Amino acid sequence: MKNFYTSVVELRQRFDAAVETHPYECGWADEAIFFVETHDFSPGSRLTLRVQLSPDGIRWLDEGSELDITCTGFIRVKHFGGFLRMAGRAVDTEGRPVPVTVSVRLALKG
Amino acid sequence: MTSTGFFDPLPRVLVTDDFDRGMSGWLDLRPNFVAPGFREHSDDIDLIHWGPTMLSSATFAFGGTHGSAQGTYSLKISSRAAAAAPDQPPAPGSMGLAIKRLAVPPRTRRVRIEALVAYKAEQDRPGLGVNDVRAFGLYVDLQDELHRYMPGVRYVNAVAGKPVRRWQFYSPTDVTDEQWSYGADGWHKAGIDPQWFGARQGDGSTVATTWFADGTQHLIYNESDDKLNWTPLSLTVNLETRAYEEFRVGNRRLSFPVGAHPTLAPAYNDIEGLLNPVFFVEADTDRRVSLFVDSVVISVETGEQS
Repeated sequence: MKNFYTSVVELRQRFDAAVETHPYECGWADEAIFFVETHDFSPGSRLTLRVQLSPDGIRWLDEGSELDITCTGFIRVKHFGGFLRMAGRAVDTEGRPVPVTVSVRLALKG
Repeated sequence: MTSTGFFDPLPRVLVTDDFDRGMSGWLDLRPNFVAPGFREHSDDIDLIHWGPTMLSSATFAFGGTHGSAQGTYSLKISSRAAAAAPDQPPAPGSMGLAIKRLAVPPRTRRVRIEALVAYKAEQDRPGLGVNDVRAFGLYVDLQDELHRYMPGVRYVNAVAGKPVRRWQFYSPTDVTDEQWSYGADGWHKAGIDPQWFGARQGDGSTVATTWFADGTQHLIYNESDDKLNWTPLSLTVNLETRAYEEFRVGNRRLSFPVGAHPTLAPAYNDIEGLLNPVFFVEADTDRRVSLFVDSVVISVETGEQS
């Protein structure tokens, strides 16, 4: 039977500027889904998050996948090595950076 | 069970958690989300932003994968990059805590929690991060028909960047419930959750800690933030007397004063008989720190009441 674990990596966490989720070690897993939920997000604002990989949890590189949401969403990831996080920012209707409060649940299986 | 020579369990082994087999029931310690809108039950201090727990291969930029004491994975309990002054309540995210939830079997007289641990600051900058780790520890949440109590030990590694390297244990406090939870209307009873409640002092003590008389110990942090030495811990508690019995760490056996026990709080609703061990780590600066835990063994001795 495979292992499964969901970590609530960020719970109602406010980011004033850049969003960077906690570095998460998951080398045991074959597949991952980031579930992202915004809280009290102003209408018209958008949150854009890039999936990032890392060899060590310190040095991050874009994986290539991107999540662009106004409320909630998810993104699937495979073949990611040992560490995962999401990085990005929220902007208002004029494209200006705005704070955002998010919950991020990382579902891992492998 | 792996690495058996490190462990000296009581006769009845309840669980042996080797993290090469998964999280084994360990998860983040979070509050009760029972308020309207799934909010936490109390907001006296921020309890929802501690760092997440994960399975770690202990992989680093220069050393590669360290692995665990036996195998690849250990449980990594991580803080976020945050810390409050040592005489202040813990800052949001300044701790990481992992819990496992069990129940005491019939006629249990003693319980023993054993593990192999290592503690590290994140290797995100040159130099040695040992003094960025304020503390780590282990306690167990217990309740019988009369009392809820949390015996535990805490290694105060550094305070305000200065080395302390000394063990303490949770001990009785006589503060009010309100004082215990930093002046908030006390949902928590005094003595419960001593890992974050109870006024802190600048030397690393709290209103509910006592230093071991022989508790100064230079544990192996090693000489780099990416080198782990798996160190055995063993805490034994007598459930008949609600008293500490023994604490072993590394090559030491630390002595509790005769009859030493934690605060005996009144029983809570719906948790009689719980057996919830918790491991935790605390940051001293705005730098992530981690406690790596491998192969937890929980054992008991049972028998007729003595």
